[in-house]
Amino acid sequence: MLDSALPSMLSSPLYLLAQEEPAIEGGFQMTALLNQALNGVGIVGILLLTALGLAITFGVMRIINLAHGEFIMLGAYITFWMQENFQMDLLMTIPFAFIGTALVGALVELTIIRRLYGRPLETLLATWGLSIVLQGVVKLIFTAQLKYVRAPDYLSGNVTFVSDPTGSPLVAISYYRLFIVVAALLLLGITMYLFYKTSWGRQIRAVTQNREMAKCLGVNTKLVDMGTFAYGCGLAGIAGAVISALKTVAPPMGQDYLVDAWMVVVTGGVDKLIGILAGSFLIGEANAIIAFILNDPTARVIVLASVIVLIRYRPEGLFTVQKRT
Amino acid sequence: MSQSRIFNNLSRRKFLQYSSLAAGTSVLAACGGGGGSDSQANLGENPIKVGVMYSTTGSIAIVEKSLQDATFLAIEQINTGTGPWEGNGEGIGGRKIERVVVNPNSDWDLYNQMSKRLIEEDQVVCVLGCYTSASRKSVLPVFEDTDSILYYPVYYEGNECSSNVFYTGAAPNQQITDSIPYAYENFGPRGFFIGSDYIYPKESNRIAIAELEKAGGQSVGDEYAALGTTEFITIINKIKAASPDFVLSNLVGDSIPAFYRQFKDAGVNAEDIPIMAYPTTEEEIQAMGSEYSAGHYTSFNYFQSVETPENEAFVSQFKEMFDDNRVTNGVMEAAYIQTFFMAQAMKDILEAGDEITTETLREATRGQEFNAPQGPVKMDPDNYHAWLYSRIGRWQEDGQAEIVFATESAVKPIPWSQALYQGRMCVHPTPDDRSDPTKETGEELEPVFL
Repeated sequence: MLDSALPSMLSSPLYLLAQEEPAIEGGFQMTALLNQALNGVGIVGILLLTALGLAITFGVMRIINLAHGEFIMLGAYITFWMQENFQMDLLMTIPFAFIGTALVGALVELTIIRRLYGRPLETLLATWGLSIVLQGVVKLIFTAQLKYVRAPDYLSGNVTFVSDPTGSPLVAISYYRLFIVVAALLLLGITMYLFYKTSWGRQIRAVTQNREMAKCLGVNTKLVDMGTFAYGCGLAGIAGAVISALKTVAPPMGQDYLVDAWMVVVTGGVDKLIGILAGSFLIGEANAIIAFILNDPTARVIVLASVIVLIRYRPEGLFTVQKRT
Repeated sequence: MSQSRIFNNLSRRKFLQYSSLAAGTSVLAACGGGGGSDSQANLGENPIKVGVMYSTTGSIAIVEKSLQDATFLAIEQINTGTGPWEGNGEGIGGRKIERVVVNPNSDWDLYNQMSKRLIEEDQVVCVLGCYTSASRKSVLPVFEDTDSILYYPVYYEGNECSSNVFYTGAAPNQQITDSIPYAYENFGPRGFFIGSDYIYPKESNRIAIAELEKAGGQSVGDEYAALGTTEFITIINKIKAASPDFVLSNLVGDSIPAFYRQFKDAGVNAEDIPIMAYPTTEEEIQAMGSEYSAGHYTSFNYFQSVETPENEAFVSQFKEMFDDNRVTNGVMEAAYIQTFFMAQAMKDILEAGDEITTETLREATRGQEFNAPQGPVKMDPDNYHAWLYSRIGRWQEDGQAEIVFATESAVKPIPWSQALYQGRMCVHPTPDDRSDPTKETGEELEPVFL
């Protein structure tokens, strides 16, 4: 598919513009912008991956989970640990990252979250405390030093869509970033399947819609709650494992993803899982394009401010159907 | 349960209660971490109290913890009469160093509060600490108002001339001034400048750009990323679009491994666009994996690969005290050196039969010499910055640097970049004279070697 895209792109006006030698400045900018937009998709992939777990714990369960970033961090450390001790390939560690963080998530649900359902502010404080504790524990076990995670060799290199006459790539994206996008979409697909097509998913939705009724109908709501929270945490763990090879592995790393993940979930709306795809696409591409034209800190300010304005006028997010109450 | 129901239950007063509770907890958490001083057993009679102020929690902890480790190693060696302190007996003139450790939790305001506490409540004679320029700027008024002494171990952007700080890290002319002509001659005239978005990287890049223009080159772009950012594809794409001859990086902390990894992942070779960096040291290389750094450059006073007997001893003693996998780097070495500058000054004071006070410590620290791991260094008696070697290392596949440029001996520090402030220098007058130590000579200062 990539190969067939190439000829059509070569004849596209953008590329022809870049071919004109004298006007290289303008054309150069256009291909550079195209390259940036393509790599913005890579950013979208990371956002989607890191926000997916939050879409479950907040979007579905309405738990304000400020420790979400720390579950991402735990996933990254599990990958690091498995590599360090068993010389495992990064992809092989992903199931372990999922299971490990899901188990921690289940434990957290059992000991803390369960006691705080319906009390969002206490949950907020408790999960925030939890994030400090988790960072501290990881620091005690692994020390504060940055950790090295080996990226798989077969995912190094770039897919080039457009290159200049001398053969150096103008529009290209790395295999690893493509891999992240594919992994994120795959996980989103699996999650949607689980939620909308299986009986477990129906139970989850029943519990979130009407807990008492679901209980009366024989649904073990406590087990459903624990399972759902653990699943959301497990997804965060996968995110941590996958991004660990591209980012920095350190105890405070989760903080970096927490704000972005929240912005994605809030923008997309929490009623439909598919909303976070739109949310990550909007935020990721907006960030990429604005940062390219202006600069990175400014882009963050503009995007964050836009999200604030958005939730002022559409507190339920962009992709939530208005309901009668 | 709908979202609105949750939030409607929340009155304004309740919200204030909760949020103030949250704010209170964060202060408690920070204080808890930095609480009482840790106890060292058997300090004997009349120990000398020294403040050690590095963050071991928060975003800068990754770097500052290793500075604390190097400081602890030096104090341990002084208290036991081992390492460079061999032959001086245990402690300083029989008195051991009691370290009073605080943890400012990477919060600039807490540095200010905790330095006050160290000086006023714990009555320490001086403080070893700080890493970022932001934290140094935060504590500077405290040290000046109380007339106390801070030993600061970090390469920095210069432009300071305080009689309350001894700077053991590189001044601009010991790090930037040699690296830019090197990059100009070996890579080409077009530089792209990146950094984290705060004082040090911006000022350091401003100096580097001025140096590059002086050498005849030009800046083809400068970009800054928020502190702690780990997503660099935008900056990398801008670098690709500008196709410079080299990149000069002043990214710090967590951003460093992420940037180098994504740089290579985006298909840029070190042969095509090498990175010349200041804050990228052995520690960050270990974290990113040496395959990502191979072929890039760092300019620093010290590398773990420096071949001196002092360095061999330092590296092995450090590994012995902490962990065999640990590496040493230039900032840690500076933290180690400054502890010995302090101890030697205290020894001189006690041998002369004086009390250790700010006055005596300041006079005794001026001009101290030390056989450091990087080679013989000295504390400049006039401007309170250290004479240090200037070196450039090219990173190898094994994560160590091959030194491709080094001065013959330590270079005299000049706190003001001569490319920007021609002829400005810092000369602290005599103890009684507290007039402005900043002097203008009008002519560019030439390099002076030890």
